[in-house]
Amino acid sequence: MIESILFWGLALAAVSSALCVVVLRNPVNCVMALLAAMLATAGLYALMGATVLALFQIIVYIGAVLVLFLFVVMLLDLKGPAAGIPRSAAAVAVSAAAVGLTAGMAWFGWKAMNLSIPADPGGGLRPEAGVAEIALELFSRHLLVFELTSVLLLAAAVGAVLVTRKEKEPS
Amino acid sequence: MSLEHVVGLGIVLFAIGAAGFFLRSNTVVLLLCIEVMLNAVNLILAGFSRYLHGTEGQVYIFMIMTVAAAEAAVGLAIIVALYRLLKTLDMSRINFLKG
Repeated sequence: MIESILFWGLALAAVSSALCVVVLRNPVNCVMALLAAMLATAGLYALMGATVLALFQIIVYIGAVLVLFLFVVMLLDLKGPAAGIPRSAAAVAVSAAAVGLTAGMAWFGWKAMNLSIPADPGGGLRPEAGVAEIALELFSRHLLVFELTSVLLLAAAVGAVLVTRKEKEPS
Repeated sequence: MSLEHVVGLGIVLFAIGAAGFFLRSNTVVLLLCIEVMLNAVNLILAGFSRYLHGTEGQVYIFMIMTVAAAEAAVGLAIIVALYRLLKTLDMSRINFLKG
């Protein structure tokens, strides 16, 4: 009972703040709305028993990615509110196409899976997969992928520095 | 709270992100919409991970988080470079690749 109340509350918070990301005009407000959506998602992870994921969601997404977004938005010091949602027939058509595409993808995915969904295992508020289980999985079967992501992060850091570097005047 | 609920919520969030990506013209908000979509996919993976009693989905979510962080770093670097070059972040005015 309490679990479903929590689920619907968090789902409502996530959907409404995701809508705010799309609708609000000022980019700083959009980043703040996304922060609320990330927090609601972290709550959903905790509700599903994935406490490690909830922690990493807060540390990595909110602590690193969104702060970086906020930093850049404030650094650029944009004058005036950004352009909002255009009120035209093309905007309605394009958003309907996006929603329809997502719905179609979801429908085909659901049909293609064709597996018998197990019932709710229950007891969502207890931690199911702790750090030890995830670490065992990550450092045994997925070790190569783990190492490759470190290379990816290094490449991203070098690339970011290279892209933002000021060009020297050709002498 | 069943698997259908979690997957349905993820699909709704993904649709909001996809519609926002096509509707807005501010570059920063476009990146934020991409983050909304990534988050929706993470939510669906977490739901399957729970209802199929595995930890594999959570490992995938860690990988997606890493890729999202790298993507945000590179995307924001591109935005800073674009702003320095054109003094605007409006996608409707960034059209120098148009033939």
